[in-house]
Amino acid sequence: MGDLVLEALTKRYGGTVAVEDVDLEVRQGEMVALLGPSGCGKTTTLRMVAGFITPSAGHVRIAGQDVTRRPPYARDTGMVFQSYALFPHMSVAQNVAFGLEMRRVGRTERETRVMEALRLVRLDHLADRLPGQLSGGQQQRVALARALVVNPAVFLLDEPLSNLDAKLRGEVRMEIRSLQQRLGLTTLIVTHDQEEALTMADRLVVMERGRVRQVGTAEELYESPRDPFVAGFVGRCNLIEGQPEGTAGFRARGGALLPCTTAAAPVGTGGVLALRPERIALAAAAPGEGAARLEAVTYLGAQTEYVVDYAGTSLVVIRATPPEGDPLRRLAPGDAVALTWDPAAARLLPAQ
Amino acid sequence: MAALILPAGLLVVLLMVAPMLLLARISLNQFSPTEMMVEAMSPENYIRAVQDPYYRSVLLTTMVVALGCTLLCLALGFPTAYWLARMQSRWKSIATILILFPLLVGNVVRSAGWIALLGNEGAINAALRGLHLIEAPLPLLYNAFAVVVGIVAVVLPYMILTLSAVIEGIPRQTEEAAANLGARPLTAFRRVVLPLAIPGVAAGSVLVFILCMNAYATPVLLGGPQFKMMAPAVYDQFVRGNNWPFGAALAFILLFATMVLTLVGSALIGRRYRR
Repeated sequence: MGDLVLEALTKRYGGTVAVEDVDLEVRQGEMVALLGPSGCGKTTTLRMVAGFITPSAGHVRIAGQDVTRRPPYARDTGMVFQSYALFPHMSVAQNVAFGLEMRRVGRTERETRVMEALRLVRLDHLADRLPGQLSGGQQQRVALARALVVNPAVFLLDEPLSNLDAKLRGEVRMEIRSLQQRLGLTTLIVTHDQEEALTMADRLVVMERGRVRQVGTAEELYESPRDPFVAGFVGRCNLIEGQPEGTAGFRARGGALLPCTTAAAPVGTGGVLALRPERIALAAAAPGEGAARLEAVTYLGAQTEYVVDYAGTSLVVIRATPPEGDPLRRLAPGDAVALTWDPAAARLLPAQ
Repeated sequence: MAALILPAGLLVVLLMVAPMLLLARISLNQFSPTEMMVEAMSPENYIRAVQDPYYRSVLLTTMVVALGCTLLCLALGFPTAYWLARMQSRWKSIATILILFPLLVGNVVRSAGWIALLGNEGAINAALRGLHLIEAPLPLLYNAFAVVVGIVAVVLPYMILTLSAVIEGIPRQTEEAAANLGARPLTAFRRVVLPLAIPGVAAGSVLVFILCMNAYATPVLLGGPQFKMMAPAVYDQFVRGNNWPFGAALAFILLFATMVLTLVGSALIGRRYRR
């Protein structure tokens, strides 16, 4: 076990930059998620940690040792691949034993540890099966056991849940998280699924086009995103371009004046106002009254999503579905509505 | 469905099974210098072929050469096939064509090329003598060495393409997983890639071995008069000796030997890597 430090890690392919200047510290026992759209460099970063890709610049340190130039087999990482990458010609037990064999662990100890690891993922009864005879979820757990049994200094997960169906995904997510916490594993997980990242990781790293946009806890990223990309990627967000007008609020490019506390921002500089859809309150208004008109209503069960034209600016509002009989329940596109929100909930961000 | 298969099935029977049956029947006849062939039902041709030390040595030579060529093809072909299978870029199709290229030239033409290269006055000996590295020419042509080189050059593409198709089916991640778990490249190869490539090794070896056992033009042209393999021996009996019954018997002995060695080889490979 140990910590993982990335220093100015960079990977270029010819003229294109895949990963640029990534600095990150994953503390002992911490789980950090690399989150971002496809092509943002998160997988490249993970593969540089595992040693499958040689960085163009920068360093990878595991437990204080610089491993940047070490081949994959000489780094103490345990990786779970997106495709699981089990050895199809070996039984479950042989798969899990492989890493121990490579470390020249004696037969008796090996067998004990393999069974221990399989018990940990509740697969000890399937030790003699071949991977092809297991379900996707079971294969996933074999992959986990195979990576864990060697007690790697760093645990690496590459989109570990993307090949599972939705129901299983929730289960395996909790299982990985509880294993990680119980064993105190220093873990780096790559995912494009924000829900996965929010629920599993201690801290998240939002990446875009090879760069780290923001590092923080789920709450920090959600409540105080540093830029419009983070605001839009973590959770849903209304991002309105325009400029602040002192204490009056924020003047959207469409002309609407949106209440917000922008005291710190100088008048006249462009910016983006970030307003979470669930922070906006919605009420019915008499026809002709109110500056907002409902454009669309989507019933989503527990919640209802409204698209509202707010004086020329389109805003998404998400509210708990009103109970039967509530006048809000009868709102239809074209109706006049009134929108209100706490000005402090609207965050002014620098333009992209 | 059956009606659709029938014409093709009949054609196969007509073109493949019938000549074989005919040949089998001929092999039991007796040779007569005056009448060529006398109807008979006797195994004497087979007994003669098996007892004659000359044909025993021809069969042995054929088997040794075929086995040697197959192993050589495996050794040379596996790295190439691996490289080809793991190639990502657009050069892959060009590399495939280059590997197939030798097959575009006929056996006879290619052998002529080898003669020009390996002969006493050939390019290699001329160069070595020009550099004063040797006095007398090296015996490169008209021996087993020349035949093995010639055959390997013909059958290697079959081995490479068969292996590479199978290796392509082994996910890259499987190898990465082995490396991640601490396996050095050679260990990862031995424990993961090779066992998973065994179907390709078996298929490629069988294909190449059969081609080698039945090689004709290369042993005739590069082996010279002293070096005999089975296919040319069969031809000699049919055409030069006019001894059809004995030639047919030799052909069946060659067929039988090929079959037995192929089955034994496949079984050995299968057992070695069952797990």
